[in-house]
This record gives sequence, C-alpha cells and structure tokens, in this order.
Amino acid sequence: MSKASNTPAVRIERVHKRFGSVQAVEDISLEIPERSLCGFLGPNGAGKSTTIRMIMSIISPDSGSVEVLGSSALAMKDRIGYLPEERGLYRKMKVGEFVGYMAKLKGVHPTGLSRRIDDWLERLALPGVSKRRCEELSKGQQQKIQLLASIIHAPDLLILDEPFSGLDPINGRLVTELIRSEQARGATIIFSTHQMHTAEALCDSVVLINKGRKVLDASLAELRAKHDDRGLVCEPRIDASDFAARAEASGIASHTRIHDNGTVDLDLADSHDTESAMAAVLGLAPMRSVALRRMNLDDVFVEIVGAADGEQKKGARIDA
Amino acid sequence: MPERPQPSYLARILMVAWREFRHTALTKGFIIGAVAMPLVMFLVIAAMPKLLSRKSPPLVGAIVVVDASGTVMPRADAILSSRRSPAEAMAELAARPPESAAEGLEAAAALAGDDAQVVEVSWRVPAEGESIDDLKAGLTRGEFLAVASISPESLDPSRDASAFELFIPSSLSPKHVSQISRALRKAVEDERVARSGIDRELLARVSRQPEPKTLRVSPEGSEAKENTELRFIVPAAFMFLLWICVFTSANYLLTTTIEEKSNKVMEVLLAAVSPMQLLAGKIVGYSLVSGVMLVMYGGLGIAGLSVASMMDLVPMLHLVYLAIFFVMAYFMVASMMSAVGSAVSDLREAQSLVGPAMMILIVPLMLWMPIVENPNGTLATVVSFVPPATPFIMILRLTAATEPIPLWQTAAAIAWGFGCAFGMLWLASRIFRVGILMQGKPPTPRELVRWAFVK
Repeated sequence: MSKASNTPAVRIERVHKRFGSVQAVEDISLEIPERSLCGFLGPNGAGKSTTIRMIMSIISPDSGSVEVLGSSALAMKDRIGYLPEERGLYRKMKVGEFVGYMAKLKGVHPTGLSRRIDDWLERLALPGVSKRRCEELSKGQQQKIQLLASIIHAPDLLILDEPFSGLDPINGRLVTELIRSEQARGATIIFSTHQMHTAEALCDSVVLINKGRKVLDASLAELRAKHDDRGLVCEPRIDASDFAARAEASGIASHTRIHDNGTVDLDLADSHDTESAMAAVLGLAPMRSVALRRMNLDDVFVEIVGAADGEQKKGARIDA
Repeated sequence: MPERPQPSYLARILMVAWREFRHTALTKGFIIGAVAMPLVMFLVIAAMPKLLSRKSPPLVGAIVVVDASGTVMPRADAILSSRRSPAEAMAELAARPPESAAEGLEAAAALAGDDAQVVEVSWRVPAEGESIDDLKAGLTRGEFLAVASISPESLDPSRDASAFELFIPSSLSPKHVSQISRALRKAVEDERVARSGIDRELLARVSRQPEPKTLRVSPEGSEAKENTELRFIVPAAFMFLLWICVFTSANYLLTTTIEEKSNKVMEVLLAAVSPMQLLAGKIVGYSLVSGVMLVMYGGLGIAGLSVASMMDLVPMLHLVYLAIFFVMAYFMVASMMSAVGSAVSDLREAQSLVGPAMMILIVPLMLWMPIVENPNGTLATVVSFVPPATPFIMILRLTAATEPIPLWQTAAAIAWGFGCAFGMLWLASRIFRVGILMQGKPPTPRELVRWAFVK
C-alpha cells in the first residue's frame, strides 16, 4: 500500500484471532493512512468483519496489536463511527431520539443536536421522520438511519461494514456521495464490500482478505499499474468477427475476444504500443468507440481468490 | 485531529440507565399497568363503602307475604325499616358471611354506617281468593317488589328451618333482593325463636364464643397484643412485594437484553460504550424501575395501613430491612437475568437456563408458612444462607419474628448476601461481555461458566 506522509489512522500488526477450531484471522498486518478511503474486500467468511470488530475493540485479538488514531479503539471510541454488518436499532424508539441517543453516547453536546439531526435527515432524503418510530420505516430507510447514527458525531475514522447491501441504486448513490463528503471533511474511511465496481469507483486503496489472510494490500493506482494490460476494447460498426479477423490479419492484435454485446477485446501485438494501435484500429473499420482496456477489480479478485482456492484444492488432492 | 470532550465513564452508564428507565417506566403500558392500576384499585377500595352508601337506590313498593300465621310480615317490616348500626352489621357478618356479591356490598355499606337509602315498603297479605299464580302475574305487571311464600313448617321450632319461596321480578336489583331476603330470613328466625320460648338475648349471650385476649410475652417481659392472621400476612406481604418488584424489572432486563441481541442493536451500542458500561447502565436503569414499583406498591400498603390505623404492624426498622434486602435481591436476580439474556437469542432458550435458579427462588414462596411459624428454626436459619433466596427468606424472618432474630445472623446474612450479589454481578459481567456477541445455539450451563473465565 502506498504510504501517506502522515501517521496511519489504523495500524494492525501480526493479528491472529481464532474462534474454536476456526482460524478467523491469521497474521494480518496493515496500515491505513489518514484521510484515505480503503476498501476491505473478500469473499463471505473471509475474516473482514472479524478484522473490523478487532479494529473497533469489540473483540480482542488472540495476539498482535491494533492501534487506532494513535491509541486503542476503546480510548478513541468517540472519534470512530461504526456501521456494523448486522444492522440494528431500537425499533420502538423514535428516529430523532435514537440518533440523539447514539450521538450523546459519542460525546455530542445536546445543544443544537435536534437541529443537526433534522438537517442530516433532510440530506438523507428522509425529511420529517424524526418523530416516527424506527419500526415504521422501510428497510432502506432504517439502513440510512443507522448510517446517520454512525456519522452524526463527525468521526475521524468511519468504519462501514457492507454499507451498500440492501440499498437500491438511488440510495446507493446517496450513500456513495455521503462517503465522499465524509472523506472530503477529513475522515478516514474503511468499508467492506462485495461490490467490486463500488470499491473501484470509491477507494484509494484496497485490502483483500481471503480465508483469514491478507492476500492483497495496494492502492488502486498501484493495482492499475500492475493489472492494466496492453489491450484495447473496440466497438466496431461492422460485424464483430470481421473486425476481429482484420485486427489479427493487420498484425495489430496478437489475440482477440468477441463479447456478446458486440465489443471486441484486442491483446496488442508486441510491435504496437497503445497509441499507435488505437490509430491503426480506426483505419480498419468505422468504429463506435475505442478505449484502453482498464483493470477490472472483479478479475483481480477472481484471479487472486481463485488462485488461492486452486492451490488449496491442489494441496488437498496431494494430501489425499 | 482535534481533541473533543468525552463523556465520562459514569456519564455513559447514566445515559444508558436513563434510556432503559425512560423506555420502560415512562411508557403508557408501565404507567397504566404498574402505577395507575394499583392506585385506582386502592382508591376504589378505599372509597367503595362511601360510594355504595351514597348511591343506594331507594327501595319503594309493595311486598306480599303468604303466611298463614301472619306473624312474619310485621317482623320483616320492622327489620327492613330499621337501619343496622355498624356493630350490628359486623355481628351479623360474623354469624353469617355474605353468600353473594350483593350481600357483601350491602354489608359493606352497613359497616360504613351512613346508608342514606330511602325505604318505603308497604306490606300486605294476599286478598281473598288470590292465588300464588295471580300474585306472580302481579309481579310481572310491576305491582309488587316481591312475593314471599312461607310455609307453616318453616316457622315450627321443632323442625329444621326449611327454605321459603321468594318470587321477584326480573328487573329487581341484586341489592334489593338481598335486603328483602335478609329481612324475611331474619323475621322467620325471630318467629322460630319466639315460638320456642327461648329468650333471644339470652340465646345470643350464651352461644357467643369468648375471644381470648392474646398477649405475646417477650423474653424481656414486655407484652404485645397478638394478631394471628396478621402475623402471617404481614411477612408474606413484605416478601411478595420484594419478589414482584425485583422480578418484574429483572424480567424487563432479560427481555430487553434478548431484544437488543436479536435486533442486532448490541454491536451498534458497543461501538459507543464498553460491555461493562452497557451492563452497568442496564442494571442501574432497571433498579430505578424496580424502585419505582417498590415505592408505589409499598407506599400504597403503608397508606392503607395508615388509613386503618394499623401502622404499628410495620415498624420503621422493617422498612429499613426492606430497603437493604431489596437492593441485595435486585442485584442477585438482575445479575442472573442479564447473564442469561446476553447468552440466548430468544425467551424460550432463556427459560431453560433460568430454570434452575428459579427453583431456588421459589423456595421462599413454598416455605413461607413454616418459616413464619418458626422464624428462628433450623430450616429458616439454613435457607437464609442459600443465595439467591437469602434476601427473600431474611425479610420473611425479620418481619415475622415474634422473638428477635439473633443479631449475628442478620449481620451475617447481609454480609454474605451482598458478597454473593457482587460475586454474581462479577460473573454476570464476564458472561455478558462474551454472550452479547454470540449467535446461534444457546450455551449450556457449563459453557456459561467457561465464558466467565475466558480471557
């Protein structure tokens, strides 16, 4: 991961956590710079939530150390906002009362608090729900209230466990904007997600955890430099297979792939760089679009996790 | 990063406590069920005799008595017209307890001594050739209040008193039925006594059983008036008061902890407070709920005793003991309930874990009579030191004691009880911090113990 000039918001060193016979987290070390937006990625049961819970000091690691905002999370509780994976609120409590209660527990002064809550509710497209009971809201609305409860105290570190799960595209966009605005305010943000495109669009860096181990820890720029390969994505106005044949025959592409949507992936031949290949492609046929092929986090995820699973299966076969 | 003032450790506990109290005790359900209802019941009971006496509807109309001897009617007329004094009402009650709600209400009104009911009843015998059926038809036409048919055998003192027939219209109020029936019953009885030639007053005098004036003599030689019934009831009242107040709020504690777990709000809370702060806040919050109930119910009881001029039954020292053992009982039961609540996912699972402790807590209820009978006996002494029954047994013994409980036993039970309460609280806090994050199948008692000692 790229190191920022300032001290990290979260520093984890050689952390282990075991639940009974299950090694939930094994030897994870990482640093998350201040004011960065870091995505925790990984398949279900990989150990993301356990790592987050250890960062929050909700559970203690069996060994290793966790430092949050230069101290322990227990000491820094008021400077951390947390949206757990399993959402919860007091169903019978009124929305304003619930958010106010959480804010006061986090050290927000009661003066002007209700005005602040109302402003936030407006911002979250939930005007006038302050006096309604939490149970009267829809699931998506409840989720936004939980998110509000985690940011109402303007935390320096915001940890969001699967913040997009269960949200429709409109609310997903609203939460995305909120995360961006929190980062712009100066907060460090960690969020776990399964949605690779969201991570790709939002994150400065990603940490990929698989089977309790950290298998990737890099900035998106580093990932792009490593995984953006020499290729073009073309959308010809002529038949895709004709275009693919021309691209190979002209020596621009060493290999082509035709997609169902009519686009053609070109792996560039050694004789061409991306700029000259783009110019050459435009001469082959009339084109709707030509673009550089970019890294796809989905592919990176599948590649790394799939390789790890393959290794394990291979090992299992050998053992057998 | 800028520093901001943080709420103190205690402030967070008090915030949690206030939320728990507010959302339990300041709800419509609690105010109506636990506060308003007992208050209304008390007021209704206190005001019942007055209400009854003021609102007695007038008894106006004619009553026909079919009686060949003609002796019952004038006697019944005299009885119905005369007002009973409270003393007479009490004597009648002692001789014959009320057999219906209406009779009970009538007796209560008479006991209150200010029955302002208007009674204007005219009595008559059947006219010549008028049959019972004619009279019954008259009843349905609203001509009479009642028709009584008394056979000569009913008045014969050599025979057992037989029933007489009383016909009434369907609209006659139960209180009026009770009044008319009582007047006729008493008239028949008076006639039977008169015919037997026995002096009525002599009969009453000789058949009255003497009441012993019981005085309990203490080892110091002082004498105190004995009231056997109250000797049993007062300790039971103390114990049940303790039991109800402690268990109601501890049950709230159990259910809200389970609810927070199943609602998944627990982890949100743990991002703001530590498990110990959460547990402490919950226990303090529900202790206030319990305290409100204790003051409410206890206050009503004391008010009732004060109205009845019976405050000597509850000396101040007993109230001090009640406060001490309330705190002890609450911490014991709340510890158990919070530990179990944190460990399970629903109430059904909680039952199996709470079961064994409940067996011990039912002991004071089962042993109430023998302990009150012999508060210094071996049984009472031994079970006083079995937590979590200690506070319940001790309050029974101390309020029942006809001779003082040895001071060392009281002191030892208080010290031992509070020691156990804090031990249970410690264990509960250890289990709570592990249990609240656990999901899935409920733990066995052995696993609970293991959680208590996990790092």
